[in-house]
Amino acid sequence: MTFSTESMNGDITRVILDGRLDIQGAASIDLRMNVLAGSTRFLLLDLGSVSFLGSMGLRSIVLPAQAIKRRGGKMALLNPVPMVEEVLKASNIGEIIPIFHDLDDAVAALR
Amino acid sequence: MDAPPSLLELDSQLSELMRAQTWIEELSNFYGLGDETRFAVQLCMEEALANVVLHGYRSEPGHPVIIRTWVSDGTLYFAIDDKAPPFAPSEPVPPNGIGSADLESLTPGGNGIRLLRRFAGSLVYESLSDGNRLTLGFAVPSNKGASVRP
Repeated sequence: MTFSTESMNGDITRVILDGRLDIQGAASIDLRMNVLAGSTRFLLLDLGSVSFLGSMGLRSIVLPAQAIKRRGGKMALLNPVPMVEEVLKASNIGEIIPIFHDLDDAVAALR
Repeated sequence: MDAPPSLLELDSQLSELMRAQTWIEELSNFYGLGDETRFAVQLCMEEALANVVLHGYRSEPGHPVIIRTWVSDGTLYFAIDDKAPPFAPSEPVPPNGIGSADLESLTPGGNGIRLLRRFAGSLVYESLSDGNRLTLGFAVPSNKGASVRP
C-alpha cells in the first residue's frame, strides 16, 4: 500500500492510497492516518487506486474520520472502485462518510 | 495448470493470512473466477480467518486453523475449522449507524460479519465437538462447476 498526500486549496489534504486495504495494508497506513487526523481539518481520501477493502481497512477510515469530526473537520471519500464501494455501503460507512466520484464535488463538500 | 491443494493448515497468526490469500489466488485462477467473485472470496476469507485468529483464539498463536475446499454443483466451498470457543455468526448483528446520520454512531470494528453475510453466496456455521466450522460458498463459472476436489 502506497500512501501519498497533496495539499489543496481550502486547507484540504488529499490522501492518495494505492494498493490493497487488507489487514497488512491497513496496518501500514494507520499511523500516518492517525497523525493526519490530529493535524488536518479537511481530509479527502482518494480510493481510486485501492483494489481491495476489508474490515480492518474500514477501521482505518472510520477512526480518523471520527477524530477529524471531533476537531470540527470533515472527511470525504473519492472514487472508490465498484467493489470497494460495495464494501463501504454494506458496512453503512458509505451512508455517513460521503462518497464522491467527482473531485470538484468532493472539494466543494469539504469547504 | 496443476490443481492447487484442497487443504491448507494455518497457525493462528494474522501473518498466516498472506499464505491463505496466495492459496486463494491460485484457486481463483484454477476455477476461472471473475473479478467480482474473486474479490468476494478474498474478502470473506480474510474476514473469516481474521475472526478466528483475533476473536476465536484471542490473537494467541499456536492453534490450528484448517481450511478445506471443494466444488459441488457449481459452488466453490471453503470450510474453515478451528478449535476455539463457540462462535455464532447467525446471531443478529447490531446495525452500524443505521437510522442515524451521526459519524460517532459508527463502530470502527464489527463489520466482519456484515461483510460475510453480504458477500458470501452461502454461509453455514456448525458447532463442532471441539470447535467451530464455518463454510462459505461462492458460485463458479459453469464450465468449472462440476463436483470436484482439486
